[in-house]
Amino acid sequence: MKMKFKIQNSKFKKFFPLLVACHLLLVTVSNAKVYIDITSPAVRKLPISITSEGPSAAKEIEGIIRNDLESTGLFSFVSPDVPGAEMTVQLKVDAVEEIKALWSLNDLIENREIIMKQYSAPPKNIRTIAHQISNDIYKIVTEKEGVFRTKITYLSYASPDNKELHLTDWDGHNGIKVIPLGLTSSHSWHHDSRFLIYSSERYRGWKIYLFDLGEFREKLLFSSKGLNLAGNASPSGDVTFSSSQDGNSEIYVMDTSGGKPRKLTASFGIDVSPSFSPDGMNIAFVSDRGGTPQIYLMDSNGRGIRRLTFEGSYNTSPAWSPDGKWLAYVGQRSGKNQIFVIQFDGTGQRQITFSGNNEGPSFSPDGLFLAFDSDRDGSRGIYIMRVNGEDQRRITPKNIKAMSPKWSPFFK
Amino acid sequence: MKKILIVLLMVLTVGCAKKLPPPAGTTPGETKESVTPDSRAAKETVKESIEQREAKLHEEAKLREEAKRREEATEAARSVLKDVLFDYDKYDIREDARPTLDTIAAYMKKNEALSLVVEGHCDERGTNEYNLALGERRAKAVRDYLSSLGVPSSRMSTVTYGEEKPICTEQDETCRQKNRRAHFTVQ
Repeated sequence: MKMKFKIQNSKFKKFFPLLVACHLLLVTVSNAKVYIDITSPAVRKLPISITSEGPSAAKEIEGIIRNDLESTGLFSFVSPDVPGAEMTVQLKVDAVEEIKALWSLNDLIENREIIMKQYSAPPKNIRTIAHQISNDIYKIVTEKEGVFRTKITYLSYASPDNKELHLTDWDGHNGIKVIPLGLTSSHSWHHDSRFLIYSSERYRGWKIYLFDLGEFREKLLFSSKGLNLAGNASPSGDVTFSSSQDGNSEIYVMDTSGGKPRKLTASFGIDVSPSFSPDGMNIAFVSDRGGTPQIYLMDSNGRGIRRLTFEGSYNTSPAWSPDGKWLAYVGQRSGKNQIFVIQFDGTGQRQITFSGNNEGPSFSPDGLFLAFDSDRDGSRGIYIMRVNGEDQRRITPKNIKAMSPKWSPFFK
Repeated sequence: MKKILIVLLMVLTVGCAKKLPPPAGTTPGETKESVTPDSRAAKETVKESIEQREAKLHEEAKLREEAKRREEATEAARSVLKDVLFDYDKYDIREDARPTLDTIAAYMKKNEALSLVVEGHCDERGTNEYNLALGERRAKAVRDYLSSLGVPSSRMSTVTYGEEKPICTEQDETCRQKNRRAHFTVQ
């Protein structure tokens, strides 16, 4: 077992280059202008161009940056040969032994260089370099963190007895298997992005585990008879979960130091899928106490239970937006599962998927995207889209049956 | 020491030869005599070894018999342990499931050594987590029903697999109905 972890550990480092070796050749940052205000209701796309010189690696990096920035819906790439761009990225790549990427961002309206920077790293980390450049550009233009170096976990069907947990870059590249054992089900990212909390069925028992991505090691968190399903962690580190240890599936909260779990619900119905709001003050969960599965909210001490969804007879899988104002969930309409969003106060409900069956929504840490799974192309796979439903695209290959994506927090 | 070793080797040979039909006019006893022509001590050893060997063979045969009996019991139970089906998003025991469960209960009472695992399953609609909880409800509903018919709870355990282990993968109602089931395995 130890061997396995060791092997995986080197894998981990390969896929999580903790830092792109960053030799700052020259940094010029002239600044203090927000080019795109993403909080404004009508955002105008920023016309931008990109040029690159160097070996094939240059075109690869250019392609990744384009894909990153375009997917936000905030940039429109225009040809560098015709006028129209208000900003331009110039990329110079050297790929002898290691990748050296020197790039600059220029304001074409004011005719000045905003930034110039160089990153270097081993060739295997070429995508990380590109994503880091995207993050830098995004930060300058919007003054917000970009999600281009975040990760997505998802479940992958391996056999009837085995559903694995995988981890990929946000764009579906650099996938690795993290948890190969058992039938893994509900899972979530801990706030500090180092831990995963998840449930797995092994030898007819559903237990809750914690995975340390730093040490690449699994730890048992909770075990009892019956069905135990992991929810998520609050900012203070409490973990919410559902358990049928007393016979009926109820919502609990425990601290990770091994204290006795506190039971928050007591209803005859099924209570499952609990999720702490980002501030830890509320818990959303699914209950069929009203006759059909619906989404409910309660204070994190179990008081003040109120029903959130009223339309449709099957609403499950609540997921909080990072600002806590919205929840995404799965609703059944005409026999198909679709993704909906609704505000915390129950208003503003909106359906955002329409083709095939769509499940398992999870917000990106900047609140701009949703990851979900869909069978619209035949086999179930992971998709991402902007929260308004625009630009829905598959990120996992067709030959993998993948489901239940969870978007990581920002890596600190 | 060397002698004993040789004798033991021969005994092993005898043991193997036993599986073949004995040649005409010889009996196992005669074979035994022929391998130990001189030494009385060796004779004793051989006799003992053969006795041990026979005891072992007897033991093995007994175990085989028991395994066979258990296998037969499981096989026999197979025809009794039919899947029990459920309505969509429901876990109450349907009218058409009762005869099957009555038969299972009677069988369990007759075969007191038998212990069951009741698995709860769902179709693929709905979310995995809710379906896991629903599958557990189905398994427990079946267990409770059997228990009400006099099968001790101690001889039944439950597990849910939700929608994780479908037996049918077409996206139509016939198939979904097959998947909304409680399935039995012998523990």
